[in-house]
Amino acid sequence: MRGTMLLVRAEIIRLRRNRRYMITTLALPIVLYLAIGKSAKAVVYGVDFGAYYMVAMATFGSFSGALTGNAIRIASERKEGWIRQLRLTPLPANGYVVAKLAASMAITIPSVVIVLLLGRYYGGVHLAHGWEWIAIAAVVWLGAMIFTALAIAIGYRFQPDQVQPIAMLIYFLFLIIGGIFFPLSGVLQRIGEYTPTYQAVKIATDVIAGITVPGWLIVGMVVWLAIFSALAWASVRATAESV
Amino acid sequence: MSYGGTGPVVSFDNVSKHYGSLKAVDGLSLDLRKGETVALLGPNGAGKSTSLDMLLALRKPTSGTIKVFGSDPYHAVKSGQVGAMLQSGGLMPEVTVRELVTLVAGLHPRPVPVDTTLRRAGIAAIAGQRVDRLSGGQTQRVRFALAIVGECDLVVLDEPTTAMDVETRQRFWASMKEEVAEGRTLLFATHYLEEADQAADRILVINRGRLLADGTPAEIKARAGAKRLSFRLDRVDEAFLLGLPGLVSLDIRNDIVQIQSSDSDATLYALIDAGYRPREVEIGSLGLEQAFLAITAEDDRASSPVQTQEA
Repeated sequence: MRGTMLLVRAEIIRLRRNRRYMITTLALPIVLYLAIGKSAKAVVYGVDFGAYYMVAMATFGSFSGALTGNAIRIASERKEGWIRQLRLTPLPANGYVVAKLAASMAITIPSVVIVLLLGRYYGGVHLAHGWEWIAIAAVVWLGAMIFTALAIAIGYRFQPDQVQPIAMLIYFLFLIIGGIFFPLSGVLQRIGEYTPTYQAVKIATDVIAGITVPGWLIVGMVVWLAIFSALAWASVRATAESV
Repeated sequence: MSYGGTGPVVSFDNVSKHYGSLKAVDGLSLDLRKGETVALLGPNGAGKSTSLDMLLALRKPTSGTIKVFGSDPYHAVKSGQVGAMLQSGGLMPEVTVRELVTLVAGLHPRPVPVDTTLRRAGIAAIAGQRVDRLSGGQTQRVRFALAIVGECDLVVLDEPTTAMDVETRQRFWASMKEEVAEGRTLLFATHYLEEADQAADRILVINRGRLLADGTPAEIKARAGAKRLSFRLDRVDEAFLLGLPGLVSLDIRNDIVQIQSSDSDATLYALIDAGYRPREVEIGSLGLEQAFLAITAEDDRASSPVQTQEA
């Protein structure tokens, strides 16, 4: 356990030094919110545009970091033999995967917190109860776990040069048809409803709107997490003799 | 918590590893005893890497049993009893050398002070540099450092001095001797035969996944035919030469005869007693490299009956 915590700390240090990672997870959602958050006066998903966009950007940062920050890194660390090197140390067998997950979740926190603070103090989003802020942050943050599981599944399965296009395709698919860049309606919404990104955003906007969150949204996110976790587990198992 | 058991540090009991029809390791049995420095020699594809992988719990044997300090290899590695450096092992990028060594030391139950490790591996001067910006030789030394960050009773090194220049290589073995002097067991695979000759007190020669020879460097050389005998001879009678005592191998080019012999005196006397008058007689010792080549070549001939046997 102590060894895994040391590795988590090292992973966080590395991520903080990685400029590209910090731009996609932290800088980009903040800049986009500042630029676009107050530009429209529409009602989206039953809430003000500023509130929707706050949730969308928090989800954007959280999910981006989880997928793009991990998939390629895991694939190249596997190829370069770092995972193999760790297997020669007393670190527990699952230590590497656990550390990736924990570091990814930890480093997502500032991005989520900053975007929500911007929503409150810059975007003028008001919620009736304090717990609602906690609920929104928790949904967005735990949603990152879904993409981290996916990143592990891809990173363990494919070569680094294959991971890049695969991760990008899934990433933009889930961002666009998940309604992160613009709210969905009509046919697109009926398709987008199946994505974890849409589900995370919609749960949060329903909390803001003060309506009861439909159970299927929560079930949806849990199912995605279960699917990607199973894929991740299978990928890690399949490479047990080759990493 | 040093290993106090009296049994072997490492034991392979009839270990095989098959990949489909390929027998990478084929019924390998061997024991390593406490405090030994053992070199593992073999041509490419001999099964060295697979054997080390199984010893380090990276791969499972198809059949047979491996024990490290009396328990299974996985337990030995995870309890910090084994330090290892593999060719295929990589480093974590984006951190400094010191950060990396500190991290891996922290994973060990009995870590060596980080500064001591940095000094022993000869990387104190580059401790502040980023791991992903090192030269090949520097990277190799950092990998070595990761193998010695813990107080391990067994150190396993796969081609440890590849990418090192001669001076670095000598410094490496000097610090290695320091490590082994503490009563550790060291197993290393190498391509540099003179390195095995100088550093090891025991050599294991493997080929086609099997153990061909096991002994001190002197014994290995003797086994291959310790002396090389060469001379010129006008009337060459190959059949007669093949019957000479002590003969291990024979090579004839025109009137020049080269013989590897386990007893060069007996070989030469028998030749002279038979009435031959060889000229320009030279007798020399066989190096480990020729011994190694002779042992593996003999095995390759024996295992491929299709090939016509040339003396």
